[in-house]
Amino acid sequence: MLLMSFDFVGDILMDNFVQIENFGRIAPYGELFVQGIVVTVMLSICTVAIGFILAIILSAMRMSNFYPLAFLGLDKDGHQREKGVGVTIGKFNPLAFLATAYVEILRSTPVIVQVAIIYYGVFGALFKLPSFTFFGFIKFERFFPGVVALGMNSGAYLCEIMRSGIQSIDGGQTEAARSLGMSWFQNMRYIILPQAIKNILPAIANEFVVIIKESAITYTIGVQDIMSAVNAVRGATFIIIEPLLVATAIYFCLCFPTSKLIAHFERRMSRGDKR
Amino acid sequence: METRDKIIQVTDLEKHYNFGAIKALDGVTAEIDKGDVVVIIGPSGSGKSTFLRSLNLLEEPTGGAIIFNDIDITKKKYKDENGKWVKVNIDLHRQKMGMVFQHFNLFPHKTIMENMIIAPVKVKKVPVEDAKKKALELLKRVGLEDRADAYPIQLSGGQKQRIAIVRALMMEPEVMLFDEPTSALDPEMVGEVLDVMKQLASEGMTMVVVTHEMGFAREVGNKILFMADGKLLEQGTPEDIFEKPQHPRLQEFLSKVL
Repeated sequence: MLLMSFDFVGDILMDNFVQIENFGRIAPYGELFVQGIVVTVMLSICTVAIGFILAIILSAMRMSNFYPLAFLGLDKDGHQREKGVGVTIGKFNPLAFLATAYVEILRSTPVIVQVAIIYYGVFGALFKLPSFTFFGFIKFERFFPGVVALGMNSGAYLCEIMRSGIQSIDGGQTEAARSLGMSWFQNMRYIILPQAIKNILPAIANEFVVIIKESAITYTIGVQDIMSAVNAVRGATFIIIEPLLVATAIYFCLCFPTSKLIAHFERRMSRGDKR
Repeated sequence: METRDKIIQVTDLEKHYNFGAIKALDGVTAEIDKGDVVVIIGPSGSGKSTFLRSLNLLEEPTGGAIIFNDIDITKKKYKDENGKWVKVNIDLHRQKMGMVFQHFNLFPHKTIMENMIIAPVKVKKVPVEDAKKKALELLKRVGLEDRADAYPIQLSGGQKQRIAIVRALMMEPEVMLFDEPTSALDPEMVGEVLDVMKQLASEGMTMVVVTHEMGFAREVGNKILFMADGKLLEQGTPEDIFEKPQHPRLQEFLSKVL
């Protein structure tokens, strides 16, 4: 029995894992893969743009000093009181609370669920998207929800990267800047951000590569990216491994140069340090 | 005797943590006149640094008042002469109080020149050329004019601290606050920083210095504050403090450090 099952696995490996002639048989579907690459690249660029803007807003919210109820914690001279319910409520920052809640929810749920909720829920039931195609083959009503969902997700991760990068800068820098009379904003703009960006660049680069790979999940809502090309080929020819290998190669060719490119910029930035 | 021109009046300053369980500052009252060199001494954990940092609100006091140029800066707003409530702009007051830190806190991504001109140019809107001219003059005074284009990482500790002092001077402050300026320095570099501070004092700059350099306190200070456990236990001229200490805590402290 045991021997038989080994034979069985062996047969599959030998006869079915990769057959060179299968690449020839899926060649006519090359067009689908080319379209898939365009969709994946477009999807990633739009996601990065949305995620980046969202992350800036979210991290600014999380680090804001917005205490609309702070007056409840002050005594009648305008001094900070020491204890009481008012002090606790006064320390409530609604902006930070909302941003933190957003980040934690988005980070603690699977992307595939988020994509489905955005597609079927938000853009299926709440808003009606116009149905048209651009570039000849990208379906807007599927592409757009995919971008929104991925952008919202990567915004949460990028927010945490930015926040930790900014908070990793020594507090003495802020103290020095503020003691020179700089405002909160000037301190951020001239002192903290230039140092923080240099520190977080590797993490952001990593997130960009993750987005390219994660965009594959949008095939579940019918976005015709590389993964969807694989499925189309499988449906038409019953060949599965070879298209998957093609997809693997394509994703690698997208991600590897991206990370190398960003590593190059990193080196150029640190060259300016003159250490 | 010259007329006394009060610049900072501190009244009953308190800084409590954990709802009063820890009292970093416990009712400190002191005044600082124009031209004073006030030196704050005391054992570690006595609240010296907290007191100094409270003066420009890097620490927010939980009680008491700091009257700086007739305005209580510990409050969020004050009533002006017309009886209108005006918000206290702490950035404005901090421009008039230069601060020097134990760990220098130079901006590592900027050259020495950029470190010095950034605040005047961005905050006071001084033209870049004017700011550079002034920076070079100040650098010459501390003997570092040839390091203008260096980055902070290329300087020694003593050089960094001298830069930090002149960086604060770029804003033309009325008061200079020094938070243990020589504590992080190698012994052979302490002298060069103290020399700059002495020079500053001799030019009539109002200074508040937290330090463990008793020689400096005795020689340059004209008013010594002794703090312990968040309280101001004794204050007086260097002669009073060092020759005739009254409080047992001060006597004990001096016997250890002198």
